[in-house]
Amino acid sequence: MTDTAPPAKLPAAAIYALTIERFRGITSLKWKPSRGVNVILGGGDVGKTTILEAIALLLSPVNPTTLSDPDYHDRDIEAGFSIEAVLSLPAGAGMSGQMKPSWPWEWTGEEAAVPALEHDGKLAGEPVYRVRVRGTEDLELAYEIVQPDGSTDSFPVALRRAIGLVRLSGDDRNDRDLRLVQGSALDRLLSDKGLRSRMASELAKNDVKNELTTEAQTKLKNLDTTFQRESLPAGLDLVITGGQGASIASMIGLTADRSGIQLPLASWGAGTRRLSALAIAEQNQGDAPITLVDEVERGLEPYRQRTLIEKLQTGSSQVFLTTHSPAAISSAATSLIWYVDHTGQIGPLDVTKIAKHRKTDPEAFLSRLAIIAEGATELGFTTAILERAFDSVLEQHGVHVSDGGGHEATLGILEALAAGGLQFGGFADDEGKHPTRWAKLHTKLGKLLFRWPSLCIEENIIAVVPDDKLQAFITDPIGEKTGIRLRTLADRLGIADKDFAALKAKAGADFKARIVEAAVGTVPTGKESDKNEYKAHAGRWFKSVDGGRELAGKLFSLALWPALKPQLLPFCNAARTAIGLTEIADLDG
Amino acid sequence: MSDASVHTALRSDAPLVLVEAPAGCGKTHQGADYACDVAADRSNRLLILTHTHAACSVFAERTRGSGSRVEIRTIDSLIAHIATAYHLGLGLPADVPTWARRTPDGYRHVALRVAALLKRHPMIATALAKRYPVVICDEHQDCSGDQHALGMAMLDQGARLRVFADPVQRIFKEAPLAGSNPAHDWATLAKQAHAFEQLDTPHRWRSGCPDLGRWTLLARTALKNGGKIDLRNNIPASVSVVVAENQARRNMEYQLAPTDRRAIDAFTRSHASLLVLTRYNETARSLRAFFNRRLPLWEGHTRSALEKLVDAITAGNADCPKLAAAVVTFMNDIGKGFSPSAFGDRFEKEVREGCTTRSRGKPATIQELARFLLAEPDHRGVAKLLARLAELKQGDADFADIEMDHSREFWEAVRLGNFEDLEAGLAEITHRRAYGRPKPPDAAISTIHKAKGLECGNVVVMPCDSTTFPDREDARCLLYVAISRAKERLMLVVSRADPSPLFQL
Repeated sequence: MTDTAPPAKLPAAAIYALTIERFRGITSLKWKPSRGVNVILGGGDVGKTTILEAIALLLSPVNPTTLSDPDYHDRDIEAGFSIEAVLSLPAGAGMSGQMKPSWPWEWTGEEAAVPALEHDGKLAGEPVYRVRVRGTEDLELAYEIVQPDGSTDSFPVALRRAIGLVRLSGDDRNDRDLRLVQGSALDRLLSDKGLRSRMASELAKNDVKNELTTEAQTKLKNLDTTFQRESLPAGLDLVITGGQGASIASMIGLTADRSGIQLPLASWGAGTRRLSALAIAEQNQGDAPITLVDEVERGLEPYRQRTLIEKLQTGSSQVFLTTHSPAAISSAATSLIWYVDHTGQIGPLDVTKIAKHRKTDPEAFLSRLAIIAEGATELGFTTAILERAFDSVLEQHGVHVSDGGGHEATLGILEALAAGGLQFGGFADDEGKHPTRWAKLHTKLGKLLFRWPSLCIEENIIAVVPDDKLQAFITDPIGEKTGIRLRTLADRLGIADKDFAALKAKAGADFKARIVEAAVGTVPTGKESDKNEYKAHAGRWFKSVDGGRELAGKLFSLALWPALKPQLLPFCNAARTAIGLTEIADLDG
Repeated sequence: MSDASVHTALRSDAPLVLVEAPAGCGKTHQGADYACDVAADRSNRLLILTHTHAACSVFAERTRGSGSRVEIRTIDSLIAHIATAYHLGLGLPADVPTWARRTPDGYRHVALRVAALLKRHPMIATALAKRYPVVICDEHQDCSGDQHALGMAMLDQGARLRVFADPVQRIFKEAPLAGSNPAHDWATLAKQAHAFEQLDTPHRWRSGCPDLGRWTLLARTALKNGGKIDLRNNIPASVSVVVAENQARRNMEYQLAPTDRRAIDAFTRSHASLLVLTRYNETARSLRAFFNRRLPLWEGHTRSALEKLVDAITAGNADCPKLAAAVVTFMNDIGKGFSPSAFGDRFEKEVREGCTTRSRGKPATIQELARFLLAEPDHRGVAKLLARLAELKQGDADFADIEMDHSREFWEAVRLGNFEDLEAGLAEITHRRAYGRPKPPDAAISTIHKAKGLECGNVVVMPCDSTTFPDREDARCLLYVAISRAKERLMLVVSRADPSPLFQL
């Protein structure tokens, strides 16, 4: 009856939901990661690594001893912190071996719910367990399994070790998985429980005393005499022995042959060390431990990053991976991409909607605050305006302005980002299309989304240029494009002369309108056969990143800023606030 | 040899093994032995489900040394444990055991809901089966349908179930609650089992009276097959049959003419280890008088009068007359003599009127009792009153006729006064009783229900008439439970005037 073969591969342990409260830089975070590979993107200091560290602490295979106030958000120790996960556990993961029975919750797809009698014909959800670690006000850690009745049992080391966690941390000095440290991948793989005591007795045979200098031996002898006199234990000797903290076993590390010499694996490069640690973890039979990889690019050339990510993607482990590497992002084709925004919230990036953008400008997903500008002009313009608002280059603040690639594409990207509950910035025109979709975005992003009240950037700016400054407006500061711009006007007005005065006289009251048409590349009626020629006019004016910068510069050089300040200043301040700067009353001219 | 085949079957890979286990045939030995073998492998954990705390203690003793790998609990406590963990989903309060104790049929309602929960969420049974890959069900004949469903749910999720039962000892039968699972049928279950074995060696009598053991098994077969116990032929010397006709006027009471009772008196006086077994509570109390209160009543583990008293005190909510009425009811539930005519009416009147009339003698003493209630109209006042009543029974001639037949229950009511909180006090006392495993006195009167699981050198079953043992399934089971308690000598007190159809006289 019972000779059915065991399933080839047990379902792996996985975190279905993670809740972090007041841990380090994270105020509050709720996240439902995917069961496969989770690639976490975001700018510096937004909490990506903290998320990994929170998982590492929760599933720590040892009892971490040290907590300090920076582990508590705002150093508020009294408020405590808590890291809680809803875990799906394979049958063999040790939950049934607990001293007291632990009871499964029901996973509804959204949360862990108390299984109830009532149901609406739906299938019962799969079993999950709620585990958490709390930092108490006494700077101690409380590991707990939360039962469906709200009571808690201990979440012991043995169970955490059985769940298994592999951590390739970004810490260069860390080689714990290549040593026999308790709970390390190597320790779990060899799982030779008697080794410690055998090593201890073996090492005790070493004659340390005779290695001492004569002088030192005399001192030891004198100490023995003193001990005898004071009725302390006497007959002193020196022996290698484990102490508090480092155990003897933790001194044992993996070595490998390098040109005929056995060298500690720890002496290889960071990348090799990390790949070795992962290989050790994989060796644990049938084991698919939850894997944390901080900064996957560390020590790995792009081809090894790609190999590693592909390997993780084909495995059955749940993986949490952070990266700043465009190569890593582009190879994470079947992973779920997450983005941590500047508010510390984590949200999914819809791969299909951002695929193109991920390729053309992966930097957008590696910044603290990304602003998607509608096109090249807007990119240049926004960058220049924000540089004034921050009084520095944007990289310094982790702010990245990205070209959305047109009105429709920008709307699509912004919507994809907003769907993940993320805070992004946007800078776009009002082409009168999709009013409800834009309105939705506005309520989500607030003032971080800038849109001209109507029409496009050129039209809005030209509208506030006084007539006596039009010539200066047309003039290219570096002198390259002035002539060609005048030429486009002359073509449109149908005259040969491209002298400013002549053009102005010919256009009359419509001069500004003609300038706008040339700047945006409007195709005049009746000239459809030459439409490409007319469209190209825009590029000669401001339709480029530099053109956008030029427009921004002219706001100030031509004193146009006061007229546009009421619209643009709130956007600048929203961006400042987003990265933790105070609001300002005005931009410096 | 059935012992050997049971031994083998238990250790087989078969998911469901059934063992039919007549009384005294080494069921506990087989179960405990198997449990120790399973637990010898340190990676195993095993669950033993019993129906009584007494059975838990026996298994605990026999599996000592296996540590925490053998978990022994009553099936009700496991069900209450599951219900506590999932109380939010079951619509129950957080403290399920207290709710179950305080609600009519509480435990059965809990079992009903837990059975439904396990059906809806097999993952809970999976968790149980993973934790307890082997489950021994003891005395499975006493399982309700919902309790049985728990075992089956674990079997379905991969646990190995080892079921011991004696269908002829099935004496706890209650009409199922609406919506609950029907009780299992042993024959049907036997067909479903991967192995079915029967124990048939009467080990209990090996050191005492092997003849009695063999005869008891034969009697069991007769009762099981719908036949009669033959009292005419082949009766071993250890079985004596006494013919005696009940003279009592009142239903359920018992009284004999002096000539009829001589043999019974001689039997009960000559044996230090003795159980007088009867079917009904009323008859048991009447037998106490019959034996001139020489033999105490075995109160077993239930305390219905005490729970009734606690309910009444809670409901009375410091209303003195209501508390007084509850005290009178309690005293008459657990004994006699504190009757309305002798004490009760006067006592309630004094409480009602606040002890205002000037009195002397017995009425004054009754007033003294009433003042305890007036001063402290709660369980503490009741406790002080009862303690004083016990003193008066000893020292005051007016009170000498009061009898506390259920003396343990009486003193537990007194002990409740030591607790600040009544509910917590009852829980604590119940808990102590469950784990303190009170043992019956060497010689005692007991109902058959309360004697289940006990064994004793000498047993009198009385009366064996048609009221007590009609030709019904439950009566057959009760009769078998009663006769199988005796290890050395058995006395059956039969009637010719009103003969039980289960005997051939």
